[in-house]
Amino acid sequence: MQNNISVIKVRDILLVTMPPDADDPTISALQEQVLGAMERYQAQNVLLDISGVETLDSFFARTVSETAQMVTLMGGRTIIAGMRPAVAVTATQIGLTLGNLETALNVDRALDMAATPRRRKPR
Amino acid sequence: MLQLLVDSVKDYAIIMLDTEGRVLTWNPTAQRLKGWKADEIIGQNFSRFYPAEDIEKGKTQMELKVAEREGRFEDEGWRVRKDGSRFWANVSITALRDKDGTLRGFGKVTRDLTERRQNEEKLKRQAQEILEMATVPVVPVWEGVILVPLIGTLNSERTQHLMERLLQRITETNSPVAVLDITGVPTIDTQTAQHLIETIAAVRLLGAEVVLTGVRPTIAQTLVHLGIDLSNVITRSSLSAGLRMALGLIDMSVVPKVAAGHAQAPCRTISPS
Repeated sequence: MQNNISVIKVRDILLVTMPPDADDPTISALQEQVLGAMERYQAQNVLLDISGVETLDSFFARTVSETAQMVTLMGGRTIIAGMRPAVAVTATQIGLTLGNLETALNVDRALDMAATPRRRKPR
Repeated sequence: MLQLLVDSVKDYAIIMLDTEGRVLTWNPTAQRLKGWKADEIIGQNFSRFYPAEDIEKGKTQMELKVAEREGRFEDEGWRVRKDGSRFWANVSITALRDKDGTLRGFGKVTRDLTERRQNEEKLKRQAQEILEMATVPVVPVWEGVILVPLIGTLNSERTQHLMERLLQRITETNSPVAVLDITGVPTIDTQTAQHLIETIAAVRLLGAEVVLTGVRPTIAQTLVHLGIDLSNVITRSSLSAGLRMALGLIDMSVVPKVAAGHAQAPCRTISPS
């Protein structure tokens, strides 16, 4: 299958980079590729880098959140890294949330997060 | 004498146009301001001084008509020099009539206000910047922690601005924690609370966390009575408690120097926990 999603395995982490101009078929392929790679490499963490993504639609948001749920079912953990401010503003304006997904400012911080056991956010 | 005045005046380009708008006379300031020499421009239509978009709109004809009907026309706008560069000009066109009331032509006085306009724009820009800084100040207080002290009522426009600026600064400074202090906010209504919740949601999408501080008793009462659910938000009553929380989120803690192994002073230090 030909698309621009890059999935790189680093230690027990799958680093998934989204292309800036992902269309719906690409987004659908994301789920397949991530879950397939998890099984193949026995990876524990999925790190989704969306720093290149300039627009976020409901389909993308839903796919990401569903994929994260599936990753959890397979015993993994998903961290979204590098969302742009403008994308976050649009996302909240149209009422999108990524549920209980973990987020990180950039890939660097996401790698730090992946290295520490998941903790409940303090209230 | 009058010609001497017209030739000597430094700040005003004073020229005459015929009834059709062709240039009849030219003075030294006109040459300095617009670039043409007298023999280059006399006889040409005064639309040469206008940007193409104004000519397309028929602005030059309109100006003459207004001057003819009402005696004079005044305008501020962009004009074009011989070399194509633009300047901001104040232009007044006066209809010149003889004793019988027959239109003989127009007097046109042009003044270069480019400098004044630039100054005005600079002042406006500075005022805007100060206003933006004052409405949403964002202060880095520790590596990875930024503080946003909010003072005054939060309306939708300001909260929108807050959201954009806060998200921008979080990514710029790479700070995983933002302390939002609302000590200086007199009251909170449903709408403001909703805006704050949205802002906090957006910050979380970026991968950072918000600590809301300055929740005074009256604010806490209002929030509960309005039925606003902030249970997903980290809130603290004082800024100091909020800072301690914020440092905790980046795995730092404030400990007395004695406990940290320095016995000399009773002051406090910050070290990784």
